[in-house]
Amino acid sequence: MGLKKTSDNVGLRKIAARDYGRDGHGLLEQLQDPDVSTRRWAARDLVQHPNLMRELCERLPQEPELSVREVMFTTLSQVGGAAVVSGLLPLLRSEDANLRNGAIETLSGLPDEVAGSIDGLLKDSDVDVRIFTLNLLGDLRHPRVVEWLGQALRLDAHVNVVAAALEVAAEVGSDALLPAVKSARARFASDPFIGFAADLAEQRIQGS
Amino acid sequence: MKTAALDTPVITDADFQKFREFFYRKTGIQFDDGKRYFVDKRLIERIEATGSDNFRQYFVGLRFETKGEELQALVNAMTVNETYFFREQYQFECLVNSMMDEVASRRKAGQRIRIWSIPSSTGEEPYSIAIYLLERWPRINDYDVEILSSDIDTQVLQSAQRGLYTPRSIANLPKPYLNKYFKEQKDGQWLISRDLVDAVEFSRVNLSDVNDTRKFRDIDVIFCRNLLIYFDDLSRRMAAEAMFDALRPGGFVCLGHSESMSRISSLFTVRRFPDAMVYQKPLEGGA
Repeated sequence: MGLKKTSDNVGLRKIAARDYGRDGHGLLEQLQDPDVSTRRWAARDLVQHPNLMRELCERLPQEPELSVREVMFTTLSQVGGAAVVSGLLPLLRSEDANLRNGAIETLSGLPDEVAGSIDGLLKDSDVDVRIFTLNLLGDLRHPRVVEWLGQALRLDAHVNVVAAALEVAAEVGSDALLPAVKSARARFASDPFIGFAADLAEQRIQGS
Repeated sequence: MKTAALDTPVITDADFQKFREFFYRKTGIQFDDGKRYFVDKRLIERIEATGSDNFRQYFVGLRFETKGEELQALVNAMTVNETYFFREQYQFECLVNSMMDEVASRRKAGQRIRIWSIPSSTGEEPYSIAIYLLERWPRINDYDVEILSSDIDTQVLQSAQRGLYTPRSIANLPKPYLNKYFKEQKDGQWLISRDLVDAVEFSRVNLSDVNDTRKFRDIDVIFCRNLLIYFDDLSRRMAAEAMFDALRPGGFVCLGHSESMSRISSLFTVRRFPDAMVYQKPLEGGA
């Protein structure tokens, strides 16, 4: 008893051949296994099958266990690409906040891939989708973020979307947004919250 | 803004505030006003290294760079990679006062309890764990306790197995432990007992590489302190998921005092013990 060394590595998992290079379609089947750990490992190992990301995205809403979902999102983040973006964008309309937030977080880590969809998302007829897109911009490292924010501040007709854009503008803190903030304040001059949010954004941007 | 005389960038109070909030959001590391000089000095170094004209230009570049390379360089500059025996001792107190008893309560006498220390660095942490268990956990002789320790750097692993330490490294050790487990060398360094070296299983592991981590399982307690702050968001999440799958249900993770699992992953629950707050893999649902 006491301290013991496992010099023969008996304490470590023996790596079975099946652990490596597992067949992609077999892994997709394992995503429906009743055992949570099996599903988590299948989601993780699918990283070696970038051609199956569409199927992985489709499986996300059916997965009930959050620990498995989290690994699925991590795999999608690692692989990236157009299939991941197109597979995740529909989740911005999901009623499930966990799915929606997971999609936003994953998409924000794929700036080059998601950039081509932002213009369309900011014109979406669904107000919530436009607000979630602004949430996404808050974490997106892309040179056009300021331009997109400016567009929402100057053009979006919905007060809640503009309020969300002001919040993100305050965080981004670029001088170039000051005229757009002013424009938003003027367009919603009768709304006290927009006035307050615009003041805050200006203060933060000007560093006072 | 630059000073006319020396052309050195200046960090204003507003810059410092803006940077502090940004850095906290990205890393969970909080700098108080007392760290102002430390932060300014390193920020100026990075502004100059990147060829930026001033803080504002540097900060915009930092926020919008796609690859996150400058953020990583900044994190490395802002964190001090130093370790020593009994560092962040309150977690070792928590280990012997709370976590080990809880783990043992789910195990029969004679069964194995497994602890994983990553990164091993030059061995101060896994050996501190070994000393704490031998000296402070009364039930050590009732169980087989294995200590695994890993690092991505093979040179530090070799150094850990040599077990030779500077006076600075052992300065925090109580004298009786120092005399019991170390021998002073002619050059003033201290050599750790071979029994302790032999009690730790060292291995090279990249925590971000699933093929390295998948062989670790049935771990009861993981110490992973002051490592994740060096990772980007995705690597942090992968590391958290690797730890989750390496742990037994109910197993614990100890992070560094400035790190927060809640900011990385929702897989773990928070456990507050009298000595420390740690993270736990749920007993059910995560098997």
